[in-house]
Amino acid sequence: MVTELNESNFDSFVEANHIAIIDCWAPWCGPCRRMGPIIEEAAEELKGKVEFAKLNTDENQGIAVRFQINAIPTLLVFKDKVLVEALVGLRPKEDIVAYVEKL
Amino acid sequence: MDCDVAVIGAGPAGVQAAIHASRKKASTIVLGKPAASALAGTLIDNYFGIAETSGDGMLSEGRSQAESTGAVFVEENVISAAREGDSFVLGLESGEQVRAKAVVIATGISRTKLNVPGERELFGKGVSYCAVCDCGFYRGRRAVIVGNDSEAAVSAELMTGFASETHWVCWDPKANDALVRRALDAGAVMHASRPASIEGDGKVEAIVLQDGTSIPTDGVFIELGAKSAADIALDLGAMPEVDDTIKVDSGCSAGVPGVYACGDVTGRPWQVAKAVGQGCVAGSAAADYTKGLK
Repeated sequence: MVTELNESNFDSFVEANHIAIIDCWAPWCGPCRRMGPIIEEAAEELKGKVEFAKLNTDENQGIAVRFQINAIPTLLVFKDKVLVEALVGLRPKEDIVAYVEKL
Repeated sequence: MDCDVAVIGAGPAGVQAAIHASRKKASTIVLGKPAASALAGTLIDNYFGIAETSGDGMLSEGRSQAESTGAVFVEENVISAAREGDSFVLGLESGEQVRAKAVVIATGISRTKLNVPGERELFGKGVSYCAVCDCGFYRGRRAVIVGNDSEAAVSAELMTGFASETHWVCWDPKANDALVRRALDAGAVMHASRPASIEGDGKVEAIVLQDGTSIPTDGVFIELGAKSAADIALDLGAMPEVDDTIKVDSGCSAGVPGVYACGDVTGRPWQVAKAVGQGCVAGSAAADYTKGLK
């Protein structure tokens, strides 16, 4: 399942999960709309290892500023509450799975 | 403009689709610039039954064939696409709209990377390939749009609504005059020199042009060519592949009723023979589909 995040539940989601990947997106962003179903599939495949969430950057600009996001789609990867990487751009599910295996 | 079948792309796949759609008595409009086809300026020596011929000759001869059965060519890029009920509405550079019952996507594939120093290193750190996606992050910051055709013009106009200053690097203008004027009237500042490099340490700080100009900026948006086929497909309700190709079935359907694709945009092999083969299938299927609607 992919949780929908906002300013109020963002930090608690990151803190509650060993590995959290947050898909930062906006509705008018074509590549983001294509990333959505890929993230759903990755979440299914990596169930139990990684928790996935989505963040609408237009509705949550404070978080976008905080993590210096200036392009979407961006996947924010947190391990033990620490931001370890911001993966920018549309990518296939296989890349996400391979990336997680190395974490 | 209303039609049965709108073909996006005036290369071999699109023109062959138009020939077959118009022969089936579907009113057909072909949108796009033949000069943008990968076939333009080439020599073809591996096409069945023809020892050697020029790509330009094939393009102009093919256009005449399609026109002789009623297809109409409009040499403008599509800048917007939408579904409205059972029909599709395509916005053109001039501001005109084409309403079609079926769409054939035959845009080919286009280069998206500029291939200048700094581009790869600074991707996601100020370098972007999607102004529509990322303009919101540039409120009150400086932005440079790079590109010669319609997508750059549209992006430049859009960016003026967000950025504190918008520069447009355009060294070989190809976009429609009306579109260029809109961007300039909105406040974009044009620079007529090729980009040489993108500079910055960990984030974009400037773009340097071949004439020596250095433009300080926070973002560089690379928008080469026309609106991408992937974006058009998405806006029409189809789901493109991650590599920006459009997957089709044996009938060239893109998976959505009324939307077809053919030619290089469907993936390899990038060959005229495959393009026209799929063009034939897609054009015929699109025409049949519009007859079924009546």
